[in-house]
Amino acid sequence: MLLFLQSLMNGILLGGIYASYSAGFSLIFGVMGVINIFHGEMVMLGAFLTYWIFTLFHIDPFLTVPLSFFSLFIFGYLIQRFVINRVVEAPPMISYLLTFGIHLIIAYTALGIWTADFRTVTTGYSGMNANIGGIIIPYARLATFVLALIVVAGLYFLLYKTEIGRAIQATAQDKEIARLMGVNIRQIYAITFGVGAAITGMAGSLISTYFIIFPQMGLSYTIIAFCVVVLGGMGYIPGALWGGLILGVVQSLTATYLNAGLSGALTFILLFIMLILRPTGILGKGIVE
Amino acid sequence: MPKKLSRMILILITMGLLIVPLGGFSEYFIRLLAMIFLWIGKTGCWNIISGYTGYIDFGAVGYYGIGSYVTALLMSKGHTPFLVSILVSGLVSASIALPIGLPTLRLRGAYFGIATLAFAEAMKQIILEFDKTAGVNFFEGPHGITLPMGPKNEFFYYIGFGVMMVVIGIAYWIKRSKFGYALRAIHEAEQAAELSGVDTLRNKVKAYMIGAFFLGVIGGVEAYWLTYITPHMVFDVLITIQMVVMSLLGGMGTVFGPVVGASFLTTVYELLHRDFPYTYTIIVGFIIVVVVLLMPKGIVGTLKTKVKT
Repeated sequence: MLLFLQSLMNGILLGGIYASYSAGFSLIFGVMGVINIFHGEMVMLGAFLTYWIFTLFHIDPFLTVPLSFFSLFIFGYLIQRFVINRVVEAPPMISYLLTFGIHLIIAYTALGIWTADFRTVTTGYSGMNANIGGIIIPYARLATFVLALIVVAGLYFLLYKTEIGRAIQATAQDKEIARLMGVNIRQIYAITFGVGAAITGMAGSLISTYFIIFPQMGLSYTIIAFCVVVLGGMGYIPGALWGGLILGVVQSLTATYLNAGLSGALTFILLFIMLILRPTGILGKGIVE
Repeated sequence: MPKKLSRMILILITMGLLIVPLGGFSEYFIRLLAMIFLWIGKTGCWNIISGYTGYIDFGAVGYYGIGSYVTALLMSKGHTPFLVSILVSGLVSASIALPIGLPTLRLRGAYFGIATLAFAEAMKQIILEFDKTAGVNFFEGPHGITLPMGPKNEFFYYIGFGVMMVVIGIAYWIKRSKFGYALRAIHEAEQAAELSGVDTLRNKVKAYMIGAFFLGVIGGVEAYWLTYITPHMVFDVLITIQMVVMSLLGGMGTVFGPVVGASFLTTVYELLHRDFPYTYTIIVGFIIVVVVLLMPKGIVGTLKTKVKT
């Protein structure tokens, strides 16, 4: 029983990690219809930012989170403004290829500069856990889980309670009408991408405190983000949380009771079946093309 | 260019390529050409599936990997002749493509891409974990399978050449047939095609299975050439990505786009990859970005429009 509860707990915490870096993917898809293949590279950039600041200046990883947020916001804003905006009206195929090209440029430039070494951020509290009735909860993962909740709540607030959020929603729903109402669509796209990148970078910063980081880590994160967002419903932000939790728990339970290698196979089989039977996600609130 | 002249040039190039191995070129050069032929073949298959219909297949490597494994198993465990093995590879790939294609080709846009990616990754994971889970020694999991030693590069040169010619021929035939018009109609406006009486699903699945068949055959050929395969090698997502990029570079939905794209990129790869491995990939990244932004129709497509206007 304890094994089951521990495994469930691990799954929930893993789900929080998945949700933390998938929400931005969902936001970008929901508003622009862009499947962003270099999404994982934004996780990588956030993680490496934290790594270098920690290694060079010994600043606590958690204090680098706001810096990741702002740097990645600027990165995302500029890349949307000057590159992706040029093809945002073209068929979706074009934007996959463009973001794939950017993925290669970022991942391999990083590989050239930082080499393929595996790195970790090891702080004084890295191995520390809370122990509740025999169930172990690592603090760093708990913090990411909390961050995921804050990110989803924050996005919700941004989208529903602010002027910019209403403009973003209007653009997502009907960009022509939004344009007629005086919304500067290109600006909104750039801001949306910036926000998506910023929250992804924050997740990357936290991930560096318990996962191994290396320049080519990105693609596997992109693929997981795909799965999470499809499970929860494409473009539906709270769906990232549901999708993350389902995937995390399924993977953790398979690894405990069947075999760790199978959890990968199961992830993709789950994704495949989901797409066929219920492309709008578990809650049925996703966007269908 | 007049039609007769271009046909003459094509025939001359084909004849020339047939006698190249007799011309005393280096082993390296023969190998490079054979590699280019097989890339043209793979890209041609992807182009039939995705370039013609607009349904972007991110899991094409799945059929290539299945083909590699079928040939590897048949040749190493069943001592089946090579040509029979690759034919069976193609048939197995195509028959798996049917149940996979029927549900996924109902999906639109990004959903189809993700579903096919999930299929290819699931295949890789299943082959990796099958033996351990079922308690047998069949796929050999991550250790991979060793095939019997193959003949010299000249053999693969001619096999590659043959497969490439067949794929190009089929692409050409499709383009001009009623089936090809149906695929193009699906690309341009699927609903309108459906309303005009085109059985869209049937045509899409047909194109998907043709692509899967030849990807399976090429997978078998390359497995024999490599003599050793693992799931990580033959289900590598980068193989799909190369096919996508080569098609895009050459021009999607054109018959000769894959020829131009695959020849160009394979040559760039050979020139740069040994000395500057990272630089090659970064340059490919920049090529993709520039092509997408400046000439989204690819090299062949852009030349065609230039000539027309």
